[in-house]
Amino acid sequence: MSTLQFLADGFGIAFQWHNLLFAFVGVIIGTAVGVLPGIGPMSGVALLIPVTATITSGMPTDAAAASSIILLAGVYYGAMYGGSTTSILLNTPGESSSVVTTLDGYQMARQGRAGAALAISAIGSFVAGIISLIGLVLLAEPLSNIAIKFGPAEYFSLMLLGLAAVSGLAGNSMTKALMMTVFGLMLGTIGIDAVSGIARFTYNQPILFSGLEFLTIAVGLFALGEVFKTVLERDHEDGAIAKINRILPTKQDMKDSAVPIVRGSLLGFFIGVLPGAGATLASFFSYMTEKKFSKNPESFGKGNIAGVAGPESANNAASGGAMIPLLTLGIPGSGTTAILMGALIMYNIQPGPLLFDEHPEVAWGLIASMFIGNLMLLVLNMPLVRVFAKIIQTPKKYLLPIIVAISFFGVYAVQYTTFDLYLLLGCGVAGYLLSKNDFPVAPLVLALVLGPMIENNMRRALTISNGEFSIFFTNPLSLVFIIAAAAWLLIPLLLKLKGRTVVVEDEG
Amino acid sequence: MSKTFDRYSSIVFLLVGLLFVIESQKISDSAYGSTVGPKIFPMWLGVILILLSLRLLYETFKYKTKTASESKLQYKKFIIILTSAVLYAFLLEKVGYVISTFLFLLIAFQTMERGRLLPSVIIAAVFSLSIYYLFAEFLGGSLPGFPVL
Repeated sequence: MSTLQFLADGFGIAFQWHNLLFAFVGVIIGTAVGVLPGIGPMSGVALLIPVTATITSGMPTDAAAASSIILLAGVYYGAMYGGSTTSILLNTPGESSSVVTTLDGYQMARQGRAGAALAISAIGSFVAGIISLIGLVLLAEPLSNIAIKFGPAEYFSLMLLGLAAVSGLAGNSMTKALMMTVFGLMLGTIGIDAVSGIARFTYNQPILFSGLEFLTIAVGLFALGEVFKTVLERDHEDGAIAKINRILPTKQDMKDSAVPIVRGSLLGFFIGVLPGAGATLASFFSYMTEKKFSKNPESFGKGNIAGVAGPESANNAASGGAMIPLLTLGIPGSGTTAILMGALIMYNIQPGPLLFDEHPEVAWGLIASMFIGNLMLLVLNMPLVRVFAKIIQTPKKYLLPIIVAISFFGVYAVQYTTFDLYLLLGCGVAGYLLSKNDFPVAPLVLALVLGPMIENNMRRALTISNGEFSIFFTNPLSLVFIIAAAAWLLIPLLLKLKGRTVVVEDEG
Repeated sequence: MSKTFDRYSSIVFLLVGLLFVIESQKISDSAYGSTVGPKIFPMWLGVILILLSLRLLYETFKYKTKTASESKLQYKKFIIILTSAVLYAFLLEKVGYVISTFLFLLIAFQTMERGRLLPSVIIAAVFSLSIYYLFAEFLGGSLPGFPVL
């Protein structure tokens, strides 16, 4: 069957009424998550996994997995749309990926062009979403055909590359990022070893036999960590929200932003495909590029619409691009995609080259639903932007305790143990302390998800080679991955030594 | 960034690494079907973590302390909310979902901002009851119900 045929089947799945509903709910919640400062896409997705798991519990596994991943991915790219709203209206970015949008977006709002800025970022996000999806459709088959030939040695090195890339770009101190990665890998070894069936680090506690639940740790580190932070360090309350007068952009606005949107989309897509680099870096680079290409660079920072259109397209394209390594290689390149991967694994569906053969309805259903979801977001965001702007005013006093209650509900509904609730709270406190002190938590979650796979592939590779570690270096592809991994770690280090500032990918 | 935190955490992680190295030696090395037993991976992770912790410890002696411009942290609120969350976890299976959630939300709302009891009561009640009935009754999930009196 050709790619188009698969895509058509995917649309068949995405157009089932309950999947339309799931995509719709996903993008709405995603937009809300994006608008609310404090909850990022990562905690938003993590919080919703248990909820979707329960709603889909009556369906057959594959259909359930397709439906929930449709909703969760909707939250992910929906958040990219929503993130710009607060940047433009309040000068406070809802997500780290919308930080650069504040530079020109807020200036536009002050000049009374808030509506145009919001509309352009919605249109840009839409175009970018579609461009990155086309890229995903085109690359999915060839990439998974290559990946299917990978042996355990290649996989091991490729995952090492993924971890190295995320650690190299996360946070200001690479030592700390690497420590978090290794610690995540260690947490992943707790429980019964999948190869030999031997219990490790369980100390005869039956509750530990199945290992620490990744969901509990992710929700604790991100969602609760963020709640505790806000409780402790009361953010100074926000200023006045800029008024939205006219929503439709003028012809001149459209003309000015057409090229930046396309440029931002392409740039964002390729940055998103790279492991470790994600939406934040993409938006940052796009802003720099637009400034470089602009005829009057001095107008940037004073409300130039290209400074909104480019970065907003780029961050959305990056979130689409980030799905490629996740779906085709089975290797998440960022914290949020790691959580999406954890969700798929919960349904016993292993992302990777076999995904497109074994579970085409999940893979293609998701891709098709992303087309629909992006369209929904465009339609929703233009007229409803005023409604979403209202969400910013949700009082924190109600929001924060409810996030705690939702986390409790989610974790308990999946795990049925009080132990996980205590673990959740512990991770919340740890998450606050760690991220406050510059220990990035995204690599920890990524390592926790990848850990068991890394170990299995390492052991399988070593079994093939009779325990010779040289297999990782003699195998040409594996060697390339290892060199790339080393480069990801060394190049930022060298740049820092030279006194250059390195952009870090910050995910919330 | 706090130097003391970095220093203590590097020591904690150092100990964790050591624990992994020592404890992994106790994992039996029955490696049937595989030349590499289940203890190799955790042991090496432990070694790497020890090295990284030492590196961080070394770094803490190098960099200058930044002047701490800490805004006052609201410890009291945080401790009340954390304690009530722990109690919430403790009581969830004992008094059931609806009652424990209602109590937790009420306390947390009032801790965040004192006063206006009525809206807090209403929101807490609506949240806990609707989650319970939607999930346990409508979707057929399982949550601890009401205590048997």
